[in-house]
Amino acid sequence: MDLRLIRKIKGYIMLFLSTLAALIGVVLLFAILYKVIMSGLDGLNLNLFIKDEAPAFLQASGGLRHAFIGQLLITVIASLIGIPIGILGGIYLSEYAHNTKTGRFLSSLADVSISIPTIIIGTFIYSILVRPLGHFNGWAGAAALAVILIPIVMRTTEESLKLIPWQLREAALALGTPMYKVIKDIVIKSALTGIFTGVSLAVARIAGETAPLLFTSFSNNTLSFNMNEPVASLTVSIFTYASSAFENWISLAWAAALVITVFILITNIILKQIMKKRSY
Amino acid sequence: MSENIVEKEIEVKDMSFFYGEKEALKNVTLNVEKNKITSLIGPSGCGKTTLLRCFNRMHDLYKGNRYTGEIIFKNQNILDKNIDITKLRTDIGMVFQKPTPFPMSIFDNVAYGLRLKGIKNKTELHNRVEHVLKKSALWNEVADRLSSSAMGLSGGQQQRLCLARTLAPEPDVVLFDEPTSALDPISTKKIEELMQELRGSITMLIVTHNMQQAARISDRTAFMYMGELVEEDATDIMFTYPKKQMTEEYITGKFG
Ligand SMILES: Nc1ncnc2c1ncn2[C@@H]1O[C@H](COP(=O)(O)OP(=O)(O)O)[C@@H](O)[C@H]1O
Ligand SMILES: [Mg+2]
Repeated sequence: MDLRLIRKIKGYIMLFLSTLAALIGVVLLFAILYKVIMSGLDGLNLNLFIKDEAPAFLQASGGLRHAFIGQLLITVIASLIGIPIGILGGIYLSEYAHNTKTGRFLSSLADVSISIPTIIIGTFIYSILVRPLGHFNGWAGAAALAVILIPIVMRTTEESLKLIPWQLREAALALGTPMYKVIKDIVIKSALTGIFTGVSLAVARIAGETAPLLFTSFSNNTLSFNMNEPVASLTVSIFTYASSAFENWISLAWAAALVITVFILITNIILKQIMKKRSY
Repeated sequence: MSENIVEKEIEVKDMSFFYGEKEALKNVTLNVEKNKITSLIGPSGCGKTTLLRCFNRMHDLYKGNRYTGEIIFKNQNILDKNIDITKLRTDIGMVFQKPTPFPMSIFDNVAYGLRLKGIKNKTELHNRVEHVLKKSALWNEVADRLSSSAMGLSGGQQQRLCLARTLAPEPDVVLFDEPTSALDPISTKKIEELMQELRGSITMLIVTHNMQQAARISDRTAFMYMGELVEEDATDIMFTYPKKQMTEEYITGKFG
Protein backbone atom coordinates (compact mmCIF):
# COMPACT_ATOMS: atom_id res chain seq x y z
CA MET A 1 0.00 0.00 0.00
CA ASP A 2 1.23 3.43 -0.63
CA LEU A 3 2.47 5.54 2.22
CA ARG A 4 -0.02 8.35 1.77
CA LEU A 5 -2.94 6.01 2.15
CA ILE A 6 -1.49 4.55 5.35
CA ARG A 7 -0.96 8.02 6.76
CA LYS A 8 -4.49 8.94 5.84
CA ILE A 9 -5.92 5.90 7.58
CA LYS A 10 -3.82 6.54 10.66
CA GLY A 11 -5.10 10.09 10.66
CA TYR A 12 -8.71 8.92 10.56
CA ILE A 13 -8.13 6.45 13.38
CA MET A 14 -6.60 9.17 15.53
CA LEU A 15 -9.46 11.52 14.74
CA PHE A 16 -12.00 8.82 15.55
CA LEU A 17 -10.38 7.90 18.88
CA SER A 18 -10.04 11.45 20.12
CA THR A 19 -13.57 12.36 19.07
CA LEU A 20 -14.83 9.26 20.86
CA ALA A 21 -12.93 10.20 24.02
CA ALA A 22 -14.28 13.74 23.92
CA LEU A 23 -17.80 12.39 23.37
CA ILE A 24 -17.53 10.06 26.36
CA GLY A 25 -16.52 13.00 28.53
CA VAL A 26 -19.31 15.23 27.29
CA VAL A 27 -21.95 12.50 27.44
CA LEU A 28 -20.97 11.64 31.02
CA LEU A 29 -21.16 15.28 32.05
CA PHE A 30 -24.59 15.65 30.50
CA ALA A 31 -25.73 12.36 32.02
CA ILE A 32 -24.76 13.66 35.46
CA LEU A 33 -26.46 16.99 34.86
CA TYR A 34 -29.54 15.26 33.47
CA LYS A 35 -29.83 12.94 36.45
CA VAL A 36 -29.27 15.77 38.95
CA ILE A 37 -31.82 18.01 37.25
CA MET A 38 -34.48 15.33 36.78
CA SER A 39 -34.23 13.88 40.27
CA GLY A 40 -33.62 17.27 41.84
CA LEU A 41 -36.69 18.95 40.41
CA ASP A 42 -38.93 16.41 42.19
CA GLY A 43 -37.88 17.47 45.64
CA LEU A 44 -37.44 21.10 44.77
CA ASN A 45 -40.01 23.21 46.57
CA LEU A 46 -40.12 26.11 48.96
CA ASN A 47 -39.99 23.80 52.00
CA LEU A 48 -36.44 22.91 51.04
CA PHE A 49 -35.34 26.43 51.92
CA ILE A 50 -37.66 27.35 54.80
CA LYS A 51 -37.94 24.14 56.83
CA ASP A 52 -35.39 22.25 58.86
CA GLU A 53 -34.94 18.53 59.11
CA ALA A 54 -38.08 16.54 59.88
CA PRO A 55 -37.72 13.00 61.27
CA ALA A 56 -37.67 10.82 58.23
CA PHE A 57 -40.06 8.14 59.53
CA LEU A 58 -42.85 10.74 59.87
CA GLN A 59 -42.77 11.14 56.11
CA ALA A 60 -43.36 14.83 56.84
CA SER A 61 -42.00 17.29 54.32
CA GLY A 62 -38.94 18.66 56.02
CA GLY A 63 -36.36 20.94 54.44
CA LEU A 64 -32.68 21.72 54.47
CA ARG A 65 -32.75 25.32 55.73
CA HIS A 66 -30.43 24.34 58.58
CA ALA A 67 -27.97 22.92 56.09
CA PHE A 68 -28.10 25.88 53.70
CA ILE A 69 -27.53 28.30 56.55
CA GLY A 70 -24.87 26.13 58.17
CA GLN A 71 -23.03 25.83 54.87
CA LEU A 72 -23.23 29.57 54.36
CA LEU A 73 -21.99 30.23 57.88
CA ILE A 74 -19.00 27.92 57.53
CA THR A 75 -18.16 29.15 54.04
CA VAL A 76 -18.39 32.82 55.03
CA ILE A 77 -16.20 32.37 58.09
CA ALA A 78 -13.69 30.31 56.10
CA SER A 79 -13.63 33.10 53.49
CA LEU A 80 -13.19 35.82 56.11
CA ILE A 81 -10.15 33.96 57.44
CA GLY A 82 -8.79 32.63 54.17
CA ILE A 83 -9.21 35.47 51.66
CA PRO A 84 -7.14 38.14 53.46
CA ILE A 85 -4.36 35.65 54.25
CA GLY A 86 -4.41 34.33 50.69
CA ILE A 87 -4.30 37.79 49.11
CA LEU A 88 -1.55 39.04 51.41
CA GLY A 89 0.41 35.86 50.71
CA GLY A 90 -0.02 36.40 46.97
CA ILE A 91 1.19 39.99 47.32
CA TYR A 92 4.24 38.76 49.19
CA LEU A 93 5.04 36.18 46.50
CA SER A 94 4.61 38.55 43.58
CA GLU A 95 5.89 41.86 44.95
CA TYR A 96 8.43 41.08 47.63
CA ALA A 97 9.69 37.58 46.90
CA HIS A 98 9.65 37.57 43.10
CA ASN A 99 12.69 35.88 41.59
CA THR A 100 13.91 34.74 45.00
CA LYS A 101 14.46 31.18 46.16
CA THR A 102 12.07 31.67 49.08
CA GLY A 103 9.39 32.93 46.71
CA ARG A 104 9.72 30.04 44.30
CA PHE A 105 9.76 27.56 47.19
CA LEU A 106 6.61 28.98 48.76
CA SER A 107 4.91 29.12 45.37
CA SER A 108 5.51 25.45 44.69
CA LEU A 109 4.53 24.62 48.26
CA ALA A 110 1.19 26.34 47.62
CA ASP A 111 0.82 24.34 44.41
CA VAL A 112 1.44 21.13 46.31
CA SER A 113 -1.12 22.07 48.98
CA ILE A 114 -3.69 22.74 46.27
CA SER A 115 -3.35 19.17 45.09
CA ILE A 116 -3.53 17.54 48.54
CA PRO A 117 -6.74 15.50 48.77
CA THR A 118 -9.08 17.56 50.90
CA ILE A 119 -9.91 14.61 53.12
CA ILE A 120 -6.34 14.77 54.40
CA ILE A 121 -6.82 18.41 55.30
CA GLY A 122 -10.00 17.38 57.14
CA THR A 123 -8.10 14.72 59.06
CA PHE A 124 -5.38 17.18 59.95
CA ILE A 125 -7.85 19.76 61.29
CA TYR A 126 -9.62 16.94 63.12
CA SER A 127 -6.42 16.13 64.96
CA ILE A 128 -5.81 19.72 66.08
CA LEU A 129 -9.28 21.28 66.45
CA VAL A 130 -11.67 18.38 67.06
CA ARG A 131 -9.83 15.69 69.03
CA PRO A 132 -8.41 18.07 71.66
CA LEU A 133 -11.89 19.59 72.24
CA GLY A 134 -13.60 16.24 72.26
CA HIS A 135 -16.41 17.13 69.84
CA PHE A 136 -17.07 18.27 66.28
CA ASN A 137 -17.48 22.01 65.86
CA GLY A 138 -18.16 24.67 63.26
CA TRP A 139 -14.81 26.40 63.72
CA ALA A 140 -12.99 23.25 62.71
CA GLY A 141 -15.07 23.09 59.53
CA ALA A 142 -14.34 26.71 58.72
CA ALA A 143 -10.65 26.17 59.44
CA ALA A 144 -10.50 23.16 57.12
CA LEU A 145 -12.14 25.12 54.30
CA ALA A 146 -9.83 28.09 54.97
CA VAL A 147 -6.81 25.81 54.66
CA ILE A 148 -8.09 24.71 51.24
CA LEU A 149 -8.88 28.29 50.24
CA ILE A 150 -5.61 29.99 51.19
CA PRO A 151 -3.20 28.41 48.69
CA ILE A 152 -5.69 28.80 45.83
CA VAL A 153 -6.26 32.49 46.54
CA MET A 154 -2.53 32.97 47.11
CA ARG A 155 -1.55 31.53 43.74
CA THR A 156 -4.29 33.22 41.72
CA THR A 157 -3.44 36.54 43.36
CA GLU A 158 0.23 36.02 42.61
CA GLU A 159 -0.48 35.20 38.98
CA SER A 160 -2.81 38.19 38.57
CA LEU A 161 -0.26 40.57 40.06
CA LYS A 162 2.54 39.17 37.91
CA LEU A 163 0.57 40.07 34.80
CA ILE A 164 0.93 43.76 35.66
CA PRO A 165 4.00 45.07 33.80
CA TRP A 166 6.97 45.99 35.95
CA GLN A 167 7.24 49.27 34.13
CA LEU A 168 3.99 50.40 35.75
CA ARG A 169 5.48 49.81 39.19
CA GLU A 170 8.67 51.57 38.11
CA ALA A 171 6.66 54.55 36.85
CA ALA A 172 5.01 54.88 40.25
CA LEU A 173 8.29 54.44 42.11
CA ALA A 174 9.90 57.03 39.83
CA LEU A 175 7.44 59.59 41.18
CA GLY A 176 8.79 58.95 44.67
CA THR A 177 5.97 56.62 45.71
CA PRO A 178 6.84 54.25 48.55
CA MET A 179 6.55 50.54 47.67
CA TYR A 180 3.52 49.82 49.87
CA LYS A 181 1.60 52.64 48.17
CA VAL A 182 2.63 51.39 44.73
CA ILE A 183 1.17 48.00 45.64
CA LYS A 184 -1.99 49.49 47.17
CA ASP A 185 -2.80 52.19 44.59
CA ILE A 186 -1.42 50.81 41.36
CA VAL A 187 -0.69 47.10 41.33
CA ILE A 188 -3.71 45.76 43.20
CA LYS A 189 -6.02 48.15 41.43
CA SER A 190 -4.79 46.98 38.03
CA ALA A 191 -5.15 43.34 39.01
CA LEU A 192 -8.49 43.68 40.78
CA THR A 193 -10.58 41.75 38.23
CA GLY A 194 -8.10 38.88 38.26
CA ILE A 195 -7.92 38.75 42.04
CA PHE A 196 -11.69 38.96 42.35
CA THR A 197 -12.19 36.16 39.85
CA GLY A 198 -9.64 33.93 41.58
CA VAL A 199 -11.19 34.55 44.97
CA SER A 200 -14.67 33.80 43.69
CA LEU A 201 -13.62 30.58 41.99
CA ALA A 202 -11.89 29.52 45.20
CA VAL A 203 -14.97 30.29 47.30
CA ALA A 204 -17.18 28.39 44.85
CA ARG A 205 -14.74 25.53 45.16
CA ILE A 206 -14.87 25.31 48.97
CA ALA A 207 -18.64 25.73 48.91
CA GLY A 208 -18.83 22.32 47.27
CA GLU A 209 -16.48 20.45 49.62
CA THR A 210 -17.77 17.48 51.62
CA ALA A 211 -14.86 15.43 52.81
CA PRO A 212 -13.13 18.01 55.02
CA LEU A 213 -16.43 18.82 56.77
CA LEU A 214 -17.21 15.20 57.67
CA PHE A 215 -14.42 15.16 60.27
CA THR A 216 -14.76 18.72 61.44
CA SER A 217 -18.10 20.52 61.57
CA PHE A 218 -19.82 17.18 60.95
CA SER A 219 -23.57 17.70 60.87
CA ASN A 220 -26.49 18.92 62.89
CA ASN A 221 -30.15 18.17 62.36
CA THR A 222 -31.34 21.50 63.69
CA LEU A 223 -30.59 25.07 62.76
CA SER A 224 -27.59 26.21 64.78
CA PHE A 225 -25.45 29.32 64.74
CA ASN A 226 -23.17 28.07 67.47
CA MET A 227 -19.78 27.55 65.91
CA ASN A 228 -18.60 25.70 69.01
CA GLU A 229 -21.04 22.92 68.22
CA PRO A 230 -21.47 20.74 65.14
CA VAL A 231 -22.94 22.74 62.26
CA ALA A 232 -24.98 21.32 59.41
CA SER A 233 -23.78 21.72 55.84
CA LEU A 234 -25.39 20.99 52.51
CA THR A 235 -22.73 18.69 51.28
CA VAL A 236 -22.65 16.53 54.40
CA SER A 237 -26.45 16.52 54.47
CA ILE A 238 -26.54 15.35 50.88
CA PHE A 239 -24.16 12.58 51.85
CA THR A 240 -26.26 11.46 54.84
CA TYR A 241 -29.63 11.88 53.15
CA ALA A 242 -28.65 10.21 49.93
CA SER A 243 -27.30 7.19 51.74
CA SER A 244 -30.38 6.89 53.97
CA ALA A 245 -33.28 4.51 53.29
CA PHE A 246 -36.04 7.11 53.24
CA GLU A 247 -37.65 8.19 50.00
CA ASN A 248 -38.31 11.77 51.11
CA TRP A 249 -34.73 12.23 52.37
CA ILE A 250 -33.26 10.91 49.16
CA SER A 251 -35.47 13.27 47.21
CA LEU A 252 -34.29 16.20 49.39
CA ALA A 253 -30.69 15.19 48.78
CA TRP A 254 -31.25 15.35 45.04
CA ALA A 255 -32.89 18.75 45.34
CA ALA A 256 -29.97 20.04 47.40
CA ALA A 257 -27.52 18.57 44.88
CA LEU A 258 -29.35 20.43 42.14
CA VAL A 259 -29.19 23.73 44.02
CA ILE A 260 -25.47 23.40 44.71
CA THR A 261 -24.68 22.30 41.14
CA VAL A 262 -26.61 25.18 39.61
CA PHE A 263 -24.91 27.61 42.01
CA ILE A 264 -21.41 26.41 41.17
CA LEU A 265 -22.17 26.20 37.44
CA ILE A 266 -23.51 29.73 37.27
CA THR A 267 -20.67 31.25 39.30
CA ASN A 268 -18.14 29.49 37.10
CA ILE A 269 -19.75 30.59 33.86
CA ILE A 270 -20.05 34.21 34.98
CA LEU A 271 -16.48 34.33 36.28
CA LYS A 272 -14.98 32.65 33.22
CA GLN A 273 -16.84 35.22 31.12
CA ILE A 274 -15.33 38.06 33.17
CA MET A 275 -11.86 36.54 32.77
CA LYS A 276 -12.28 36.20 29.01
CA LYS A 277 -13.27 39.85 28.65
CA ARG A 278 -10.26 40.93 30.61
CA SER A 279 -7.70 39.06 28.53
CA TYR A 280 -8.73 40.55 25.20
CA MET B 1 29.79 84.99 25.59
CA SER B 2 27.55 83.57 28.26
CA GLU B 3 28.17 80.11 26.82
CA ASN B 4 31.23 79.90 28.98
CA ILE B 5 29.41 80.26 32.27
CA VAL B 6 27.75 76.87 32.23
CA GLU B 7 26.03 75.68 35.31
CA LYS B 8 26.28 72.01 36.14
CA GLU B 9 23.13 70.24 37.32
CA ILE B 10 24.60 66.76 37.69
CA GLU B 11 28.20 65.59 37.85
CA VAL B 12 28.92 61.96 37.17
CA LYS B 13 32.36 61.14 38.55
CA ASP B 14 34.14 57.96 37.56
CA MET B 15 30.98 55.93 37.98
CA SER B 16 30.71 52.23 37.24
CA PHE B 17 27.62 50.09 37.44
CA PHE B 18 27.20 46.34 37.79
CA TYR B 19 24.26 44.04 37.13
CA GLY B 20 25.52 41.38 39.50
CA GLU B 21 28.90 40.45 38.01
CA LYS B 22 28.30 42.18 34.68
CA GLU B 23 29.89 45.60 34.45
CA ALA B 24 27.41 47.57 32.34
CA LEU B 25 28.95 51.03 32.86
CA LYS B 26 32.70 51.58 33.00
CA ASN B 27 34.17 54.67 34.68
CA VAL B 28 31.66 57.10 33.27
CA THR B 29 32.42 60.77 33.80
CA LEU B 30 29.91 63.35 32.58
CA ASN B 31 28.65 66.81 33.42
CA VAL B 32 24.99 67.41 32.74
CA GLU B 33 24.31 71.09 32.12
CA LYS B 34 21.51 72.81 33.93
CA ASN B 35 18.24 73.52 32.08
CA LYS B 36 19.57 72.10 28.83
CA ILE B 37 18.60 69.00 26.87
CA THR B 38 21.29 66.33 26.77
CA SER B 39 20.92 63.34 24.44
CA LEU B 40 22.46 59.95 25.15
CA ILE B 41 23.15 58.10 21.91
CA GLY B 42 24.96 54.91 21.01
CA PRO B 43 24.34 51.42 19.64
CA SER B 44 21.78 49.18 21.29
CA GLY B 45 23.10 47.60 24.49
CA CYS B 46 25.81 50.22 25.07
CA GLY B 47 24.35 51.24 28.43
CA LYS B 48 22.20 54.32 27.75
CA THR B 49 19.21 53.08 29.72
CA THR B 50 21.47 51.77 32.43
CA LEU B 51 23.08 55.19 32.86
CA LEU B 52 19.74 57.00 32.85
CA ARG B 53 18.36 54.73 35.55
CA CYS B 54 21.30 55.53 37.82
CA PHE B 55 20.11 59.12 38.18
CA ASN B 56 16.92 58.14 40.00
CA ARG B 57 18.38 54.98 41.51
CA MET B 58 15.81 52.82 39.70
CA HIS B 59 18.34 50.00 39.79
CA ASP B 60 17.83 49.71 43.55
CA LEU B 61 14.60 47.87 42.86
CA TYR B 62 16.48 44.76 41.78
CA LYS B 63 18.83 42.64 43.84
CA GLY B 64 22.50 42.39 43.07
CA ASN B 65 22.87 45.76 41.33
CA ARG B 66 25.83 47.82 42.48
CA TYR B 67 27.28 51.26 41.83
CA THR B 68 30.78 52.63 42.37
CA GLY B 69 31.97 56.21 41.97
CA GLU B 70 29.81 59.28 42.50
CA ILE B 71 26.92 61.20 41.03
CA ILE B 72 26.79 64.70 42.52
CA PHE B 73 23.41 66.43 42.51
CA LYS B 74 22.56 69.35 44.81
CA ASN B 75 25.93 68.96 46.56
CA GLN B 76 25.21 65.38 47.50
CA ASN B 77 26.39 62.05 46.20
CA ILE B 78 23.08 60.50 45.21
CA LEU B 79 24.66 57.04 45.10
CA ASP B 80 25.10 57.31 48.86
CA LYS B 81 23.16 54.56 50.63
CA ASN B 82 21.71 56.97 53.20
CA ILE B 83 20.18 59.36 50.73
CA ASP B 84 16.41 59.98 50.80
CA ILE B 85 15.36 58.20 47.61
CA THR B 86 11.80 59.48 47.73
CA LYS B 87 13.08 63.05 47.78
CA LEU B 88 15.56 62.28 45.00
CA ARG B 89 12.77 60.92 42.81
CA THR B 90 10.64 64.00 43.43
CA ASP B 91 13.58 66.10 42.21
CA ILE B 92 14.45 63.83 39.29
CA GLY B 93 11.43 62.51 37.39
CA MET B 94 11.28 59.93 34.62
CA VAL B 95 9.26 59.29 31.46
CA PHE B 96 9.38 55.74 30.11
CA GLN B 97 9.45 54.23 26.65
CA LYS B 98 5.92 52.88 26.79
CA PRO B 99 3.20 55.12 28.23
CA THR B 100 2.46 54.08 31.81
CA PRO B 101 -0.89 55.57 32.82
CA PHE B 102 -2.05 54.52 36.29
CA PRO B 103 -5.39 52.70 36.54
CA MET B 104 -7.26 55.81 37.69
CA SER B 105 -8.78 58.98 36.27
CA ILE B 106 -6.87 61.48 34.16
CA PHE B 107 -7.08 63.98 37.00
CA ASP B 108 -5.84 61.51 39.62
CA ASN B 109 -2.94 60.52 37.40
CA VAL B 110 -1.64 64.07 37.25
CA ALA B 111 -2.51 64.75 40.89
CA TYR B 112 -0.72 61.59 42.07
CA GLY B 113 2.68 63.16 42.63
CA LEU B 114 1.11 66.30 44.11
CA ARG B 115 -0.82 64.28 46.68
CA LEU B 116 2.39 62.40 47.49
CA LYS B 117 3.93 65.77 48.25
CA GLY B 118 1.14 66.33 50.75
CA ILE B 119 -1.00 68.75 48.76
CA LYS B 120 -4.61 68.03 49.79
CA ASN B 121 -6.41 71.32 49.16
CA LYS B 122 -8.90 70.70 46.34
CA THR B 123 -8.60 74.11 44.71
CA GLU B 124 -4.83 74.02 44.75
CA LEU B 125 -4.79 70.49 43.33
CA HIS B 126 -7.18 71.49 40.59
CA ASN B 127 -5.26 74.62 39.70
CA ARG B 128 -1.98 72.80 39.51
CA VAL B 129 -3.39 69.92 37.48
CA GLU B 130 -4.94 72.39 35.04
CA HIS B 131 -1.72 74.36 34.80
CA VAL B 132 0.45 71.36 34.05
CA LEU B 133 -2.05 69.87 31.58
CA LYS B 134 -2.04 73.17 29.71
CA LYS B 135 1.73 73.18 29.75
CA SER B 136 1.67 69.64 28.31
CA ALA B 137 -0.71 70.70 25.52
CA LEU B 138 -3.27 68.20 26.72
CA TRP B 139 -5.80 70.46 28.42
CA ASN B 140 -7.98 71.08 25.37
CA GLU B 141 -8.25 67.38 24.70
CA VAL B 142 -9.10 66.24 28.22
CA ALA B 143 -10.71 69.21 30.02
CA ASP B 144 -14.20 67.74 29.66
CA ARG B 145 -13.26 64.24 30.81
CA LEU B 146 -10.84 64.71 33.68
CA SER B 147 -12.67 62.13 35.74
CA SER B 148 -12.68 59.39 33.13
CA SER B 149 -10.07 56.66 33.07
CA ALA B 150 -6.64 57.49 31.67
CA MET B 151 -6.66 54.10 29.96
CA GLY B 152 -9.11 55.47 27.39
CA LEU B 153 -6.61 57.96 25.96
CA SER B 154 -4.64 57.29 22.78
CA GLY B 155 -1.01 56.24 23.07
CA GLY B 156 0.29 59.71 22.27
CA GLN B 157 -2.09 61.33 24.74
CA GLN B 158 -1.11 58.80 27.39
CA GLN B 159 2.55 59.67 26.91
CA ARG B 160 1.82 63.41 27.25
CA LEU B 161 -0.22 62.59 30.34
CA CYS B 162 2.78 60.74 31.77
CA LEU B 163 4.93 63.77 31.04
CA ALA B 164 2.34 66.00 32.74
CA ARG B 165 2.30 63.64 35.73
CA THR B 166 6.08 63.81 35.93
CA LEU B 167 6.12 67.60 35.65
CA ALA B 168 3.36 68.21 38.21
CA PRO B 169 5.56 67.97 41.33
CA GLU B 170 7.98 70.40 39.64
CA PRO B 171 11.15 68.33 39.36
CA ASP B 172 14.52 69.90 38.55
CA VAL B 173 15.45 67.13 36.16
CA VAL B 174 13.40 64.86 33.88
CA LEU B 175 14.85 61.63 32.45
CA PHE B 176 13.39 60.32 29.17
CA ASP B 177 14.07 56.76 28.00
CA GLU B 178 13.20 56.65 24.29
CA PRO B 179 9.96 58.49 25.02
CA THR B 180 8.77 58.58 21.42
CA SER B 181 9.86 55.21 20.09
CA ALA B 182 6.37 53.78 20.62
CA LEU B 183 4.59 56.81 19.14
CA ASP B 184 3.44 57.94 15.70
CA PRO B 185 5.20 60.90 14.02
CA ILE B 186 2.58 63.47 15.04
CA SER B 187 2.65 62.44 18.70
CA THR B 188 6.44 62.38 18.52
CA LYS B 189 6.46 65.94 17.25
CA LYS B 190 4.19 67.06 20.08
CA ILE B 191 6.49 65.55 22.71
CA GLU B 192 9.52 67.17 21.07
CA GLU B 193 7.78 70.55 21.03
CA LEU B 194 6.96 70.19 24.71
CA MET B 195 10.58 69.44 25.47
CA GLN B 196 11.59 72.57 23.59
CA GLU B 197 9.22 74.63 25.70
CA LEU B 198 10.59 73.17 28.91
CA ARG B 199 14.16 73.87 27.91
CA GLY B 200 15.51 76.70 30.00
CA SER B 201 13.49 75.77 33.04
CA ILE B 202 14.16 72.05 33.45
CA THR B 203 17.21 69.87 32.91
CA MET B 204 16.41 67.06 30.53
CA LEU B 205 18.29 63.88 29.70
CA ILE B 206 16.98 61.83 26.81
CA VAL B 207 18.01 58.40 25.59
CA THR B 208 17.30 58.04 21.91
CA HIS B 209 18.29 55.61 19.19
CA ASN B 210 17.19 58.16 16.64
CA MET B 211 20.11 60.38 15.69
CA GLN B 212 17.95 62.89 13.84
CA GLN B 213 15.98 63.34 17.02
CA ALA B 214 19.12 63.95 19.04
CA ALA B 215 20.31 66.47 16.45
CA ARG B 216 16.91 68.16 16.32
CA ILE B 217 16.17 68.67 19.95
CA SER B 218 19.24 68.55 22.11
CA ASP B 219 21.81 71.12 23.20
CA ARG B 220 24.36 68.55 24.20
CA THR B 221 24.96 65.02 23.00
CA ALA B 222 26.85 62.21 24.67
CA PHE B 223 27.99 59.16 22.72
CA MET B 224 28.30 55.86 24.54
CA TYR B 225 29.88 52.62 23.43
CA MET B 226 30.09 49.31 25.30
CA GLY B 227 29.44 50.81 28.69
CA GLU B 228 31.84 53.70 28.24
CA LEU B 229 31.11 57.34 27.66
CA VAL B 230 33.17 58.04 24.58
CA GLU B 231 32.54 61.73 24.08
CA GLU B 232 30.21 64.53 25.12
CA ASP B 233 29.92 67.94 23.50
CA ALA B 234 27.57 70.55 22.06
CA THR B 235 25.20 68.77 19.67
CA ASP B 236 26.25 70.74 16.56
CA ILE B 237 29.89 69.95 17.19
CA MET B 238 29.16 66.28 17.85
CA PHE B 239 27.30 65.96 14.58
CA THR B 240 29.83 67.91 12.50
CA TYR B 241 33.33 67.64 13.97
CA PRO B 242 33.36 64.94 16.65
CA LYS B 243 36.77 64.57 18.27
CA LYS B 244 36.78 60.80 18.40
CA GLN B 245 36.87 58.65 15.32
CA MET B 246 34.43 56.15 16.81
CA THR B 247 31.82 58.87 17.27
CA GLU B 248 32.22 59.90 13.68
CA GLU B 249 31.84 56.34 12.48
CA TYR B 250 28.67 55.88 14.50
CA ILE B 251 27.16 59.16 13.40
CA THR B 252 27.89 58.52 9.75
CA GLY B 253 26.22 55.15 10.07
CA LYS B 254 29.31 52.94 9.73
CA PHE B 255 28.05 50.78 12.61
CA GLY B 256 25.21 50.66 15.08
N1 LIG C 1 18.70 43.67 34.24
C1 LIG C 1 19.84 43.40 33.60
N2 LIG C 1 20.64 42.40 34.03
C2 LIG C 1 21.80 42.12 33.39
N3 LIG C 1 22.25 42.77 32.33
C3 LIG C 1 21.51 43.78 31.84
C4 LIG C 1 20.26 44.14 32.45
N4 LIG C 1 19.73 45.17 31.77
C5 LIG C 1 20.62 45.45 30.77
N5 LIG C 1 21.68 44.62 30.82
C6 LIG C 1 22.85 44.64 29.92
O1 LIG C 1 23.53 45.86 30.11
C7 LIG C 1 23.95 46.38 28.87
C8 LIG C 1 23.39 47.76 28.67
O2 LIG C 1 22.00 47.69 28.53
P1 LIG C 1 21.09 48.96 28.30
O3 LIG C 1 21.49 50.00 29.27
O4 LIG C 1 19.68 48.51 28.35
O5 LIG C 1 21.49 49.39 26.82
P2 LIG C 1 20.83 50.48 25.87
O6 LIG C 1 19.75 51.19 26.61
O7 LIG C 1 21.95 51.36 25.49
O8 LIG C 1 20.31 49.73 24.69
C9 LIG C 1 23.51 45.40 27.81
O9 LIG C 1 24.59 44.56 27.51
C10 LIG C 1 22.43 44.62 28.47
O10 LIG C 1 22.38 43.31 27.98
MG1 LIG D 1 17.58 51.27 26.25
